[in-house]
Amino acid sequence: MASTHTIDAVPPSVERDLHAETATPGDHGSGGLPQSQFEHWAGQIGYLLILFAVLYLLVSKVFAPRLRKVMDERADTISTAVATARQVQAEAADQAAQAQAEVVKARADARATAAAAKARVTEEANARQAAEEAVVNARIAEAEAAIGKTRDAAMSNVSTIASDAAAAMVERLTGKGATAAELAAVKGAA
Amino acid sequence: MADPIHQFQIQKVIDLPDVTLPVLGTVDLAITNSHIAMTAAFVAIVGFLAAVTSNAQVVPGRLQAAGEGVFGLIDNLADSIIGHDGRKYFPFVFTIFLLILGMNLLGLFLTFTATSQLAITATFALITFGLVLVVGFAKNGLGFFKLFWPMGAPLLLRPVVGLIEFVSFLLRPITLALRLFGNMLGGHVALKIFAGFVVSLGLLGLGGGVGLLAFPVAALSLGMVVALTALEFLVAFLQAFVFAVLTCIYLNDVVNLDHAH
Repeated sequence: MASTHTIDAVPPSVERDLHAETATPGDHGSGGLPQSQFEHWAGQIGYLLILFAVLYLLVSKVFAPRLRKVMDERADTISTAVATARQVQAEAADQAAQAQAEVVKARADARATAAAAKARVTEEANARQAAEEAVVNARIAEAEAAIGKTRDAAMSNVSTIASDAAAAMVERLTGKGATAAELAAVKGAA
Repeated sequence: MADPIHQFQIQKVIDLPDVTLPVLGTVDLAITNSHIAMTAAFVAIVGFLAAVTSNAQVVPGRLQAAGEGVFGLIDNLADSIIGHDGRKYFPFVFTIFLLILGMNLLGLFLTFTATSQLAITATFALITFGLVLVVGFAKNGLGFFKLFWPMGAPLLLRPVVGLIEFVSFLLRPITLALRLFGNMLGGHVALKIFAGFVVSLGLLGLGGGVGLLAFPVAALSLGMVVALTALEFLVAFLQAFVFAVLTCIYLNDVVNLDHAH
């Protein structure tokens, strides 16, 4: 890489150096760029063509198919996973709807059961109340009848007592007993 | 000061006997520094691809992801430019891209850049041009020449435009070769010149006295070398990519000749 020039205390300009180098006969062939030394072309071109052909074969037969296979596999895996996820999601949505329907049904059932129980209880209570009322009414009627009887008895005793008392008062005042007909008349007048 | 052109000199490493071929005349079979640089790039590419694909997993590791990135870059390029036939031409474009990229990048690490040799870039250009011609005639027969017959132009102008198209078609391999060659040549010459400044100005500064003023300039040159090296990495990738893009475009011209014109 380094040129044969020794480095002076004052370095020559780049151009001068360049000219000095390129002017050296035999070093740079035609005096232009080293790239234009055509004696080196054939070897490079031939070798590059060989390398190119080998690499082309390797890429087209080995590397590209391998990578494509993996990439296709990946695309397959991803699409399968996405499809599976979609399916699972649909299933989950179905199940959610089903559960929702079940909840609604259960709620309706519970409501119906509650209503039925309430109706039954109300009915039973009404029936019991009615029965008890009937019993109480019967006892009231019974008691009223007993009271009536007692009063009737008492009332009949009262008239007997009154006629007795009247007969006794009449007897004491008049000295003779009043007839039953008179007593009856008095009673009616009283 | 080092000669900035000397780095492009072909040097024989192992001299093999010359052979005389019927058409080419005497061919020097010597193994040169150019051969070594090409071989190094080739080995690096094959090693990289082998490492990427030998144990390829559905869930890629780092190296495989890098390999698939490069693969996908050219695959998408071929697909988007050439269309559904792109897959067929992918190995060719990928090969040419990898070889140029490998040689460009290795040129930044080694002392010799294969793609700064006109012989190499011209070979790449002619391989592409040759493939375009072969595919063009194989797919379209003599209809290939419709490529130069611009249906969009007014009838009177068609021969003129066609002639221009034809000349520009013939110039394609030259522009392909010179673009890559010029970029590599210029970049490495600039790097060498600035690096040479660092050394010669540094030695001047060591002399003391007024020469001390050379130190800041040497430091500036060193900064330029660093910046240019970064730029050269960009150029190394970009030129390989440009070559691949143009290869795809030229192939598309002849592959989809009926649809485009």
